[in-house]
Amino acid sequence: MSGGVATVPRSGSEPAKSWRTNRKLDQWIAFWSVPFFFNLFGLVFVPLSWMMPPRSPSSPTPRIVDFMHSHNLLIACVILTLAYGLAPVSNACYLMQVKRMSVSPAFRYSMMVGAMTGAIVGMLFPMFCFGLGAFRPGYSTAVLTMLYDFGYLAFIGSLGCFCVMWMAFGLAIILDENNILPKWLGYYTIWQYVTELMAAPVWIVKSGPFAWNGLMTFWFAMILYVSWQFIVYFCIFKAIKNQPESEFA
Amino acid sequence: MTDVAEGSAAGVDESVVDARGHVPGESSMWFFVIGDLLIFAVYFVGYMYFRSQHQDLFLQSQARLNVDIGAVNTVMLLTSSLFVASGTAAARAGNSANALRAWAIAFAFGAAFPLLKLFEWIPEISAGLTPGKNLFFMYYFVMTGMHLCHVALGLVIMCFVIRNLKTSAQPKISLVETGATYWHMVDVLWLVLFALLYLMR
Amino acid sequence: MNTRGQRILLWTAPPAVALFVLAYFAFPVFSPPLSPTLTPDQVAAFFRGNVTGILGVSILCNLIACSLVPLFAVTAVQMSRSATSSPVFTYAYIICVGVGTTAFILADYCWGMAAFRPDRDPQLTSLLNDMAWFFFVAPVGTIMVQNLCFALSVYLDQRPDPIFPRWVAHFNVATVAFLAPGAFSILYKSGPLAWNGPLSFTLRLTTFAVYITVMFWALLRAVNHQGDERVALA
Repeated sequence: MSGGVATVPRSGSEPAKSWRTNRKLDQWIAFWSVPFFFNLFGLVFVPLSWMMPPRSPSSPTPRIVDFMHSHNLLIACVILTLAYGLAPVSNACYLMQVKRMSVSPAFRYSMMVGAMTGAIVGMLFPMFCFGLGAFRPGYSTAVLTMLYDFGYLAFIGSLGCFCVMWMAFGLAIILDENNILPKWLGYYTIWQYVTELMAAPVWIVKSGPFAWNGLMTFWFAMILYVSWQFIVYFCIFKAIKNQPESEFA
Repeated sequence: MTDVAEGSAAGVDESVVDARGHVPGESSMWFFVIGDLLIFAVYFVGYMYFRSQHQDLFLQSQARLNVDIGAVNTVMLLTSSLFVASGTAAARAGNSANALRAWAIAFAFGAAFPLLKLFEWIPEISAGLTPGKNLFFMYYFVMTGMHLCHVALGLVIMCFVIRNLKTSAQPKISLVETGATYWHMVDVLWLVLFALLYLMR
Repeated sequence: MNTRGQRILLWTAPPAVALFVLAYFAFPVFSPPLSPTLTPDQVAAFFRGNVTGILGVSILCNLIACSLVPLFAVTAVQMSRSATSSPVFTYAYIICVGVGTTAFILADYCWGMAAFRPDRDPQLTSLLNDMAWFFFVAPVGTIMVQNLCFALSVYLDQRPDPIFPRWVAHFNVATVAFLAPGAFSILYKSGPLAWNGPLSFTLRLTTFAVYITVMFWALLRAVNHQGDERVALA
C-alpha cells in the first residue's frame, strides 16, 4: 500500500501508467490543485491587479476611476474566469472528508449549496464588476463608483453562503464519531463562521476599522481566515494520507 | 486557570482540578474558549485604542446607553452561572434530580438575557442610535451582538445538557462540564463587555 | 429497474435542447450577435427596437435555465459509480454545474433588465448588455473543470467493466480546449476572440451543443448497462 504523494500537475493530460499504482490518486490530484489555485488567486489579486488589499470605500473619485480603468483588471478577469472552476475542487476536498464522517449527508449537501452560491456571489460576479469598467472606458463616474462598491461589497461582504458552509463543516467535525478530522479543527471552523459575523459591518460604514478595508473587518478577519485555510488543508493532507485502503476496497 | 475562569464568574470558589489533574469537559472546548477569549480580546484592545483617539465622542455616546438593563443582565448571567456551577457539582456527585433542577433554573435566567437585550436595543435603534451612527456604537453593537450570538449558542448547549440529565440515568459528565465551561466563558466575556462599554469613564 | 428515474431524467434533455435551440434562433441579440464596438446609444436603440423578442426569449430562458441540470445530475450519479477512492470529482462536478448554471441565469437577467426599461440612460443599458455578455460567454472556468473532473474519473476508474469508454473522456478533454478561448473575450472588442467572434461565440456554442449530444448518448448507454447495481450515495 503506497502512502506516496502524487504531485501531478493540474492539467487535462492523461496520467502516465506508473501513477496508476496509487489508489488515492483522485484525492491527491484534487488536493494538490488547491495550493496551485490559491497561489494563482493570490498573484492575480495582489501583484497583478492590486485589488487586494482592498482599497478604501472613501477613496477620492479620481483614484477610483483610474483603478477601474486599469488594463490589469481585465487580465485578472481572464485568468480568473479560466481558473475559478478550481474553487469547486477545493471545496470538494472538504466534502470528501465529510463523506467519511458518521454524520448525515445533509451536512455535505448544505456545504455543496453554500459552495455553489459562494462561487458566484463571492467570486465571479464581483470579478466582472471590476472588469466592466476597464472593458469600456466611456462609463460615467457614478457608474464606475457603483461597480467599485458592488465589486468590493460582493467580495468582502458575501456572508451567508459561507456561514452555512462553515457551520455545517464545523458541526460535522464536532459530531463525527469516526474522528476523521480533529475536534479542535471543528471549533476553529466555527470561528470561520464568526469571521462572517465580523464582516457584516462592511455594509454600513465607509471608513474606519469597520469598513471593507478596516482593521477589524478585513485585516483581523483575514488573519483568522488565512491561518484556518492553511491548517484545514494540512489536516486534510493527513486525513488522506492516513485513510486505510480498506475504506474504499 | 480553571479556577479563575469558573470561580470568579460564578462567585463561588470551586476547586475544579482534583488530585489527579482532571481537566473538566472536552479539551477541544477549552481550545474554543481560549481562542474565543483571544478574539474578543482583540476587539477590546481595538476598542481601547480607538477610545483613546476619540475620547469625547466615546464618552458622549456612552452616556446614552441604558446602564440599568445592562446591570440587570449582568445579574441574570451571574445568577445563571451560579446555578450552572451548582448543577455541575450535583451531576458530579451523581444527583441527577438536583442537577436537572439547577440547570433548568440556570436556563431560565440565561433566557432572560436576550429578552432584556431586545428591550435595550429596540428603543436605542428607534431613537436613531444605530451601528452606523459613530464608531462607539459600531463597537457597541458588534461586540454585544457577537456576545448575544454566543449566549444563544450557550442556551442551545444548555438544552442538550438538560435533555441528557432528564433522559439518562447516569449523566454524561463530559457534556455537562463542557456546557458549563462554555457558559462560564460567556459570563466572563459579558463582565468585561459591561465594564468596558457601560461603566468605564 | 432502479434506473428508471435516471432514464426519465435523461429523456428530459432532448426537449430541453430543442427549447434552447429555439431560444437561440429567436433571440434578436444573437442574430447576428451584437458587436462589442457598439456605442451605448446604439445599444440602447437596439434594445428599444427589439423589446418583444428580447423579453420573450429572456423569459423563456429564465424558465428553461436549469433544464439541462437533470442530465448533469445523471452524469454525477454515473461518475460516482466509478471505482475511485473517493467521490471528490463528483462533488466538484456538482458544484461546477451549479455555478455555471447560475452564471447563465445572471446573463439572462441582465438582458431581461435591459429590455424591461428601454428608456433607461443608455450608459446603464450598455452596462447591462456588457454584463450579460460577460456572464454568457466568459465563465468557461467551471465547465472546463467539470469536464476535466469527469475525464479524470473515467481515467482513474478501476472497475473491470468501466462505466464509460475511454473516448468519452478524451472527448471531454477536447471540449476544454475549445471552450477556453471564451475567457479571453473580455480583452477584445473585435476579432475572433471578441464575444461575437468565431472563437468565443460560434466555436463555444457549437462545442457545447455537440458536447450535450454526445454526453446524452454516452449516458444512455451507461445507465442501460447499470443493471441492478445500486449506486452509493455521494
